[in-house]
Amino acid sequence: MSSLPLDEIPRGQQAISVLWPSFIVAIVASGVFFSAFNPRDLTPYNLDIQVSPLAAYSIGFFLFWLLALLSSLGTMYFTISNCRFLKKQRN
Amino acid sequence: MDTSQAPPGETDLYAAHKKIYPREVSGYFSRLRSLSLIILLGIYYVTPLLQWDGRQAILFDLPARKFYLFGLILWPQDFIYLAALLILAGLALFFFTALLGRVWCGYACPQTVWTEAFLWMERKIEGNRGRRMKLDKAPTSAAKIRTKVLKHAVWIAFSLWTGFTFVAYFTPIDVLASELLSFNLGPWETFWILFYSFATYGNAGFMREQVCKYMCPYARFQSAMFDSDTLIVAYHPERGEPRGSRRRNVKPAEVGLGDCIDCNVCVQVCPTGIDIRDGLQYECIACSLCIDGCNEIMDKMSYPRDLIRYTTENSALGKRQHILRPRIIVYACILLLLCGLLVGHISQRIALDLDVIRDRNTLYRETRDGLIENVYTLKILNMDSKAHSYRLWAEGIDGLKLVVDEPEILVEAGAVQQLVVRLQADELNLEARSVPVNFHLQAEDSNHLKTVEEARFVGPGKS
Repeated sequence: MSSLPLDEIPRGQQAISVLWPSFIVAIVASGVFFSAFNPRDLTPYNLDIQVSPLAAYSIGFFLFWLLALLSSLGTMYFTISNCRFLKKQRN
Repeated sequence: MDTSQAPPGETDLYAAHKKIYPREVSGYFSRLRSLSLIILLGIYYVTPLLQWDGRQAILFDLPARKFYLFGLILWPQDFIYLAALLILAGLALFFFTALLGRVWCGYACPQTVWTEAFLWMERKIEGNRGRRMKLDKAPTSAAKIRTKVLKHAVWIAFSLWTGFTFVAYFTPIDVLASELLSFNLGPWETFWILFYSFATYGNAGFMREQVCKYMCPYARFQSAMFDSDTLIVAYHPERGEPRGSRRRNVKPAEVGLGDCIDCNVCVQVCPTGIDIRDGLQYECIACSLCIDGCNEIMDKMSYPRDLIRYTTENSALGKRQHILRPRIIVYACILLLLCGLLVGHISQRIALDLDVIRDRNTLYRETRDGLIENVYTLKILNMDSKAHSYRLWAEGIDGLKLVVDEPEILVEAGAVQQLVVRLQADELNLEARSVPVNFHLQAEDSNHLKTVEEARFVGPGKS
């Protein structure tokens, strides 16, 4: 357990603890997803999208990153707001 | 949570970051470390230049969905090997951590490798520790700006080279180089070169030990793999304490002090800025530079070496040391077993795949000779690194005839060939409406390269 209340962790470290784990998750997710599906065979929402394979992989990676980032952000938000709430109750 | 009761060491963790100026040091371990770093950097930058069979030896060709590893070509269906390799890497980390402690952190982690490379450039441009600290404290001047600009220019150039090399693992380096020289890089290639360069510049130039402290998951859980026989870097407090400064060649006993002269060299050389004399800390990446630093001082004082040394908890406490212990043996056995399985499986891997799709438009048709005919599309995937011609035959029905229009089935290395073939059979030999048939495919020049694929043959059925 950290001895410092979570909401007092510097902003920079908060940002990293959201960005970094989601980055790692995005790498794993892209690897698993694109080994199973060839982007050439995918037509999301029946849209006719013509992009190069490298663009498809890159965009896929960033979408995974965004998803994981939102989840991490949610965890961070709830943890910090609960921490503030508990502190207020205690005082 | 009450912060006042927190141990002081832990609250320091979140204090505002102080820039660390690691002092240069020379000695056995720093030479060993430099050697390891140079070899690893060399592998990283040289690998994309290696050629194999007229192509790049190691290439992750994403557009074609093929991974080239020297003679081996891996396809998406071989993903299992990659997963196995990752599990092996994880297990190897367990094994080496239990045995040698954080040898990975100190000698092989990319964060360490590139940080040291950047530090080396910094030293060459800004000078030693004292000069660097003085330069940062000095008021802005033309000379200071010149030095700083030069340092960052060199760092950025090195980062760009690193980013370029990274992308060259995915796009052949000769193509990438000619695109770069003709200012014709694709947008995503440009993006990834810049992205990776920026990450290198940021991590190795600025973040440095903070990556180990705040971002590295391994640093947090490595202690779970440690036991009392794991190799650690440790200070010898019984010998060193009470510490204190003294004149050279003074015997410690004469002044009532231990061997530690409190010169702080061990703190100054530390890339994570800790004091090893405070005991084992999770910030310690076991780079062993403090050992070299301290030994240098001990030599100058004519005291015995190894006041700070590689040791284990057991041997530091004077207990028996066990290198072969259950944990090590279990890790080693699992590691060897998995290695064997992986190597065995890859060597047994058949670099050939056959896919059979029955023509869905017509169930069957009758030929002029009164035979029942089915049409199939065959997809032959040659996963080998050289071209092969193949022999194809089918069985499953008496008197089954295979009609192939092409005179020879030749598939280039790493290519997929589509082939439309027909099967013909006499209606009298069909025992049901739908009968299983087997397509056999075998390379002409290898008994090992063969595969069988089942399909259905459909006829009018018994009336």
